[in-house]
Amino acid sequence: MSRPSALGSFARGVGASISKPYLAVALWLIQLALAAVLVLPLGNALHTLLDRDPSSDRMVARPDYGWWETVTRVHPDVLGALPEAVTSLLSPEGLRSSQVSTLRGAGAAAVGLGALAVILHAFALGGLLGTLREPQASLVTFGREGLRRLPAFLAFTLAAVAGALTAYRWLFVETGAVMARRGLELATETQVLLITLGRLLLLGIALAAIKLLVDSVRSIWVARPDLPPVSRFLAGVGAALGRPLRLLGVLALWGVSIAGLYGLWLFLDPSAGGEARLALLPLIATQQVFVFLRCLLKVGYYAAVSEVLTRAPAPEYAYLPRPEGAASAAPAEPPTPDSPPDAASV
Amino acid sequence: MFPAKRAVLALALAGTSAAGLAATPAATTAPRLADPVASYQIVCRLDPEKRTVEGSLQLTWKNTTARPAPTLRFHLYLNAFRNTLSTFRQESESARRHTTIPDSWGAIDLSRLTLSDGTDLLARLAYISPDDGNPHDRTVAEVSLPRAVAPGETIALSADFVSRLPRVSVRTGWKDAFFLVAQWFPKIGVLTDAGWKCAQFHANSEFFADFGDYDVSLEVPAAYRGKVAATGVLAEERPGADGRLLLRFRQSSVHDFAWAADPDFLVFEETFREPGSSDVALRLFLQPEHRAQKERHFHAARVALTGLSRLLGPYPHPTLSIVDPPWGARGANGMEYPTLITAGTRRFAPTAGHSPEQVTVHETVHQYFQGMVGSNEVEEPWLDEGITVYVTERILAEAYGNPRPILDVFGWRGTLGIEMHRPLDTSRSAFGPLARGAVASPSMAFSSREAYGAVVYRKAALALATLERLAGREVMDRALRLYFERWRFRHPSSADFVAAFEEAAGADWSFFFDRTIFQDGALDYAVTEAATAPAESPRGVLGDGGEPVAPTARRGFDSDVRVERRGTIALPVEVVLRFEGGRVFRDRWDGQGLWKRYRFGGWPRLIDAVVDPEGKLLLDLDRTNNGLRTRPDARAAARWTARSLFWTQNLLDFLTVAW
Repeated sequence: MSRPSALGSFARGVGASISKPYLAVALWLIQLALAAVLVLPLGNALHTLLDRDPSSDRMVARPDYGWWETVTRVHPDVLGALPEAVTSLLSPEGLRSSQVSTLRGAGAAAVGLGALAVILHAFALGGLLGTLREPQASLVTFGREGLRRLPAFLAFTLAAVAGALTAYRWLFVETGAVMARRGLELATETQVLLITLGRLLLLGIALAAIKLLVDSVRSIWVARPDLPPVSRFLAGVGAALGRPLRLLGVLALWGVSIAGLYGLWLFLDPSAGGEARLALLPLIATQQVFVFLRCLLKVGYYAAVSEVLTRAPAPEYAYLPRPEGAASAAPAEPPTPDSPPDAASV
Repeated sequence: MFPAKRAVLALALAGTSAAGLAATPAATTAPRLADPVASYQIVCRLDPEKRTVEGSLQLTWKNTTARPAPTLRFHLYLNAFRNTLSTFRQESESARRHTTIPDSWGAIDLSRLTLSDGTDLLARLAYISPDDGNPHDRTVAEVSLPRAVAPGETIALSADFVSRLPRVSVRTGWKDAFFLVAQWFPKIGVLTDAGWKCAQFHANSEFFADFGDYDVSLEVPAAYRGKVAATGVLAEERPGADGRLLLRFRQSSVHDFAWAADPDFLVFEETFREPGSSDVALRLFLQPEHRAQKERHFHAARVALTGLSRLLGPYPHPTLSIVDPPWGARGANGMEYPTLITAGTRRFAPTAGHSPEQVTVHETVHQYFQGMVGSNEVEEPWLDEGITVYVTERILAEAYGNPRPILDVFGWRGTLGIEMHRPLDTSRSAFGPLARGAVASPSMAFSSREAYGAVVYRKAALALATLERLAGREVMDRALRLYFERWRFRHPSSADFVAAFEEAAGADWSFFFDRTIFQDGALDYAVTEAATAPAESPRGVLGDGGEPVAPTARRGFDSDVRVERRGTIALPVEVVLRFEGGRVFRDRWDGQGLWKRYRFGGWPRLIDAVVDPEGKLLLDLDRTNNGLRTRPDARAAARWTARSLFWTQNLLDFLTVAW
């Protein structure tokens, strides 16, 4: 059997995603619900500030830098120091914990939302990977599988978050602090920029490795319920180490396709030009179609990773009606969530 | 100077002494534009290994005051870098001007100071700290003279000195083979009828000096051939001993002399021509990694000189050198010295950012306000920085467009299409909490570099832009020209600027200057109520008795508008009320009271009310409260809410990408 290429895997993953569009719909709904938590207070604040402002006419078509600057300065309760916190993420000093305490309003809500997003991400991936292995599945399968995998997937996700933050701290913030002291002694800014590029590349590689490792563990966790948990975890790590280039290839293809999607969005720029370009409802529809397409690609990526790691996608255990004659072999009780499937269903 | 070193220097500079050079044929130089008060002949030698400049100078100084001068005061600026106890280091704490101050010590030591008759003054020299009494600060020295200098009398002094340069952190010093030699020689203070103006070297302060003629001979290693930028005109260049190079620069009617050298400089030259002006040799000393920005620097210098020539008058000096400090020497960026400025750029400087352009134009404007109009940068820094920012913004707006996109990559303006408006958007830092204090405050009055910049640069510029919009650009231009012509090569004060403006305007504008320049305060006008409803007839018991009258409909609408002054600064402001059918009501409110109410009965329906509709009051802290419409329009908020939703969804996805 020939090894599937990264491109082939990614293409088949996207195909699988398209064949089960409710997975992308589920992701889209989760993100929409999460974003609504933040956008509702922000939208109310915007209506309060803009609806009776005669100068809001010009804000329909294009942003007014002065207006936004004034709002963030005069109404710190709306965003708090969120823009500063976001920009400091890529500063040599990095994001300081003291900055979190300066957040107010939507800025503070965004941090809470981020934490909630991590948990829901763990749930969604459990549902997604479980559902991808079911030949006949539905949104119900997604919810069931998501909840079933949540404890383990949450642990993996939090470990990955901790790993990513550690990588950020030591590969970006700490090296940035060293560069802040020594970089000025280099001969040219070009040298400093190259070193910074190297730091970013290193961070990117570390984050990619963490991501591929945790995605591999997740995939094997779902694909090999016959193994004890520790073995499943180790098999996941081993699978990632066994196929690093193909996994990296799938990740790169996903990144390129997402970048292409954003490039297209920025080129077409549906938000610009105000109502002359798109009325409000068509604009919202266009935006949400974009988000849905992005979710579709995301599901495709996970399907591709699952395929690269398990080669032959098969249901973990079937919920299909058993063939006649096999009834006597059926267990008296349905399988417990993490019990291994019986031989007939594999 | 130690005898051995002195002998070496004498040998090295053989035939190049101040007296010797004075006898050489007259070099190309501009005619004298000002009566010299403090003139210098300096002969010096750069030792790149030791990072020292050893020199001898002859100072000719005239007492232009009406009282005798029994003492002289000198700036010894480099002593600010002598140790951590200096006033500069104490005020700086640990960092300023973009970079941490390294422990690289600089100093200036005098080894000889004599009068022209040989009378030794060194023994009479004492370090003083007139600003803060810091006993460890050695940036000002006072010399008591054996005989007071009479009013109108001119004396000559000689001095030998060694300047040890620090690693560049603030304005002056070295980085590898690059040298920016500024504030480097013993420099006499300014004597006024009120006494000496000779401030210590402070963290936020710049400088103040008398005008004079400079004749400076430099000896540098041959590696610096063609790579030395300096104040004035290169009058002579010839080989020296040991393969070194002797350069002589001369410039009259300036108040300082600075020079820079770097063997890595790429040197370009072009001629600036403007009708009615003499040609100016523009010389650009660029770092190799900024080679692609050559034309941007030249273009910025050209538009600055063109704008200044037309606004104020011709640039009178024959040269203008633009020095690009190397990476790691950003502390030397963005400084102005007579006929020499330092640029400020990065390896990648997007064209939309106008970063090198802004610095080059700003420092070129300083050639007029500070270089020629010699205000006291220590006591009234707004007079050069505030006016310079104001004029810079005007030149940039005319040359590069206004508003301009904030992001422009090869013509693509980005999905947000955000634009910056000059001068308001670029001076917003003036509205931050740091912007406390009157504009016309001394530089030492500010608690931090940021506060100093917000008030002296930005708030001052916004005040002047507001003044221009209230009085009219013609009046403003006339005032600037009058101020410049009257005070070039002299030392004006804030009162002199006000007087020039009022003379140009032909009116008393003290109300404006008192509230925006000489006092601290905030300006904020707001429309706090705008309501309109169908008009009703009177109701209740009308007249002397009888039954109450029920309301009946009348034609038109009753409208009610209230505007408020929320800040402490009161300025006249226009109020505009728009009604349906194109009817408009305009009022010029004097802005003195805390509020004013407008009531209209039987008019068409009120659409909106706006205070300061043309945005003249650029000092207004909060322009989002400057208007109210009677009927809400949710279009803008809805679209921005949709955008917020969209990008929040995207950010949430990015958040989970890594795990």
